[in-house]
Amino acid sequence: MTELYHFLEMSVWLGFAALGFAILFNVPQRTLFMIWLLGALGGTTKLLILFAGGNIILASLAGAILVGILSIQAAHSKHAPPLVFSIPAVIPMVPGAFAYRMMLGLIKLAGNTGTESYSDVLNSAVSNGLKTLFILLSLAAGVAIPMLITRKESAKEIKIIK
Amino acid sequence: MEKVNKRTRELASTLLEIGALLMSSGASTGRIRVTISRIAEALGYNSELLVTHRALMLTLVEEESQYFFSSLKRTSPHGVNFKVVSGISRMSWRVVEEEWDIPQINAEIERLRSLPHYPRLVILLLVSLAGASFCRLFGGEVIEMAVAFTATFAGLYVRQESAKHAFNGYMCIFFGSLTASLISGASVKWGLGADPELAFATSVLFLIPGVPLINSFTDLIDGNIMNGLVRGANGMIISFAIALGMLGAMLIYNI
Repeated sequence: MTELYHFLEMSVWLGFAALGFAILFNVPQRTLFMIWLLGALGGTTKLLILFAGGNIILASLAGAILVGILSIQAAHSKHAPPLVFSIPAVIPMVPGAFAYRMMLGLIKLAGNTGTESYSDVLNSAVSNGLKTLFILLSLAAGVAIPMLITRKESAKEIKIIK
Repeated sequence: MEKVNKRTRELASTLLEIGALLMSSGASTGRIRVTISRIAEALGYNSELLVTHRALMLTLVEEESQYFFSSLKRTSPHGVNFKVVSGISRMSWRVVEEEWDIPQINAEIERLRSLPHYPRLVILLLVSLAGASFCRLFGGEVIEMAVAFTATFAGLYVRQESAKHAFNGYMCIFFGSLTASLISGASVKWGLGADPELAFATSVLFLIPGVPLINSFTDLIDGNIMNGLVRGANGMIISFAIALGMLGAMLIYNI
């Protein structure tokens, strides 16, 4: 039960993180609530998969694909291009902590050569960096997948619910 | 003939204006190309377009007389504005469905351009709230969230002010990042809260180049490799500016 509360609370914060970026990108007012919702749903999907023991890269990909598919439906109902919804909604999944640790590692590497800890620092910097890179790639890919597999030039031609 | 020439010239400048607006508001290359050819086709023209990061080149061919006109326009870097992207996308469909002509399109562009941004205080408060949310998502408690909120607020304020003073765009990012990490770094220095590093790591997240990086990927898999690489490089420089700001704060506090 406490876990359920935890996920509900996290989804609220995920939504607010998406909303902040939506405001920063100056989205139309009518799309704000939908962005909050998509951010919360996508991020919670990622957290649930992580909770079930999944890999963080695949979890991010799944969250981003969900956001990508829902953004097409949102584009129909709110009359705005899908990227208006999908870009702010995937930003809460950005691996800020990994990127930060990679940067710390690189700084340490720059100032430290030939000591015993070198290979440990190198190891963690490279591992965190690769995680950052792959998560970013899977976020971008997940958002693009609905457009790719339907082979349409415009979201207006894609109908999910007929 | 003279009339056709004049119309072609007018349409070319309108279309280039649309393309430049889309480019500076954060649309992908494919979207710019599709939008422009959709509008041109609705008005009876064939269009060929060359899209680069800082300039657009357009050739319009009038379908009946085969008269053609080429023109080039520089685009200006402005900042993401999805109200414009969404407005132009809606307009392009109305041009097709309601058979708009050039003056109507120009009036609509003028209207979209003058649409207001959100009030500054709203932007500052909600983006700071997003910073605090990030902190919570990474496991922060109330104190860390308050630090992340304050740091984001000050960082974004400094970034907006430096953008107003027309500093180099990457410098604006650096100033924002430095301010945010100086404030959140103070909490690390004096050990505020259980895990102040969380606030330090999340206080600069409002600067992450989400739009350049996602558009870079979209362009790359669309086959617009050049534009994808350029946008990716732009995103990398922004990330580097953020890291430089954090590094500055870390050296100042010696943490």
